Amino acid sequence: MRNHDRLSAIGYRLSARRSTAYSWLLILPPLALTAFFSIYPFIVAVDASTHRILLTRPKKQPYIGLDNFREVLRVAEFRDAAVNTAVFAAMTVPAVTLLGLGVALLLNQRLPGFGLLRWIVLLPWAIPLVGAGTMWRLLLHGNTGALNGLLLELGIIDEYITWLSRPTLAMVAVTMAHLWREFPLAAILFLAGRQAIASELYDVARIDGAGAFALFRDITLPLLRPTLLIVLVYETVVSMSVFDLLYVLTGGGPGSATTVLAWYTYATTFKFYNLGQGAALSLLMAAAILVVIVLYTYILPAKEERR
Amino acid sequence: MTARRMLGRVVLYALAVALLIYILGPFLWLLSASFQTDIALFQQPPEWFPDPFLTDNYRYVFTGKVPGEQGIGAVAAFTQEAQRIPRSLANSLIVALAVLAVNLLLATVAAYTFARERFRGREVAFFFILGSRLLPPVAVAIPIYQILRQTALLDTKLGVILVHSSFTLPFSIWVLTLYFRGMPREIEEASLVDGASRLRALFSIAIPLAAPGLAAIAAFSFLFSYNEFLFALLLTQSPGSKTIPVAIAAIAQNPDASYSLIAVGVILAIIAPLILASVFRGYIARGLVTSLER
Repeated sequence: MRNHDRLSAIGYRLSARRSTAYSWLLILPPLALTAFFSIYPFIVAVDASTHRILLTRPKKQPYIGLDNFREVLRVAEFRDAAVNTAVFAAMTVPAVTLLGLGVALLLNQRLPGFGLLRWIVLLPWAIPLVGAGTMWRLLLHGNTGALNGLLLELGIIDEYITWLSRPTLAMVAVTMAHLWREFPLAAILFLAGRQAIASELYDVARIDGAGAFALFRDITLPLLRPTLLIVLVYETVVSMSVFDLLYVLTGGGPGSATTVLAWYTYATTFKFYNLGQGAALSLLMAAAILVVIVLYTYILPAKEERR
Repeated sequence: MTARRMLGRVVLYALAVALLIYILGPFLWLLSASFQTDIALFQQPPEWFPDPFLTDNYRYVFTGKVPGEQGIGAVAAFTQEAQRIPRSLANSLIVALAVLAVNLLLATVAAYTFARERFRGREVAFFFILGSRLLPPVAVAIPIYQILRQTALLDTKLGVILVHSSFTLPFSIWVLTLYFRGMPREIEEASLVDGASRLRALFSIAIPLAAPGLAAIAAFSFLFSYNEFLFALLLTQSPGSKTIPVAIAAIAQNPDASYSLIAVGVILAIIAPLILASVFRGYIARGLVTSLER
């Protein structure tokens, strides 16, 4: 065995040079695709953000330094979009996290029939966002919506509510659709985290006379902390970049009621053809997302600190 | 069973039923709506079950045969858009399957190389590929559009396949590298000593062992590509390359669109991902957990 190790070590050394070239050859295709469709475009975008680029004036694209950023930060529409994004994240992230956690704890019960539930819980997350959005557009429709029909049948409302054409309600409507689509992912992650907790912990605590709530507070919650961090970070990023749902549900409206940063960036770039400002906006968005991720890991360390 | 435990069970089952309705209700309502006429849908409250049960909407989408008596008013101004659904479905399936194949092939080889070979620049290359996913999609949209235009790949399925592949490969490589690293080296080493090449060891030994990981990335890359909207919207225009999310969005945005036909479109669009997610559910869940927990 020893000899064999030594032999193969010599073999490795001899082939080391050949092996490096060979290895690079094997990773070249994904490397090239990444360089071509991510890194290079990103450099182009950074460059674009420092130029005034209007498709209406394609010949004149002067370098203007950070003016795009300054202008973007100054306009009221940007501030509205930033506020809308924050409001949307503030509504959806806690909702998705809490519903996901609750559903995970429910799915964790070993009762007959619950296997089926664990099976179907992922379905809303698997379909195209555009499909989910269109589905909710029909559900929430002011004239034909099933939700209105249901509320009417139950006697909760007297006449149909136009969910999507009233500013505040439109935001609530998008939140409802987003929640339905996103909670399965949180539930799956929490469920995996919960199943990783050794059942002996609960047995011991129960012998000590701990009630259900104490078990949850003192065992489940602290041990789910790493999962909680992942869910919070992931769901915050997702809700800060919401776009597909808005495209089919509200188109950023009514007015600018559901215009979030991703939509505003899209509109600036593809509706008003201000490519320079669009690039600046998308970089600002990326920076904001990065800041949020760093903040989370700072506020909520994955491992509980020693006291 | 004590009365208290009994009560606990009743509560749990009540919650389970509520969850079941919450998850499946929207799907079932859509299915019901797709077999109705618009007239029935516009009643307040609407018909919950199709009466009469109408397959005309589906027939119209596939054959172009305009619905008969009962369906009048169901076909509004967006005739062509609804009839593009089958073509878009085919486009989406072709693109997503190609992206899946690209991922299985390239990501497996690359991930295996990252996990097993020691070579100069390995770490740099790894971070180069993974780091690319931190860039927001909107930021690279315009440059990618320009690249595809210059290479005459705009409005082609190949263009979408390349872009989707470049977006999914980093994730697949990440998941599979973790997978290969977690596998014992000994068996592969043994076959190397027997004179097999690295690639040979990969295909005959490592891949069978990593099958669950491969299933996960296959499911992920298919779902990503099938569901992706922003780039598909920007990069495709003609019926020959438009994917299904783009077709659905076009119909949903049309103010004249018939609601039952929109429902048909969404139902047809979500069949493939629903089947995939049900079949691969276990792999998807495990893949998600491994990939996000690092």
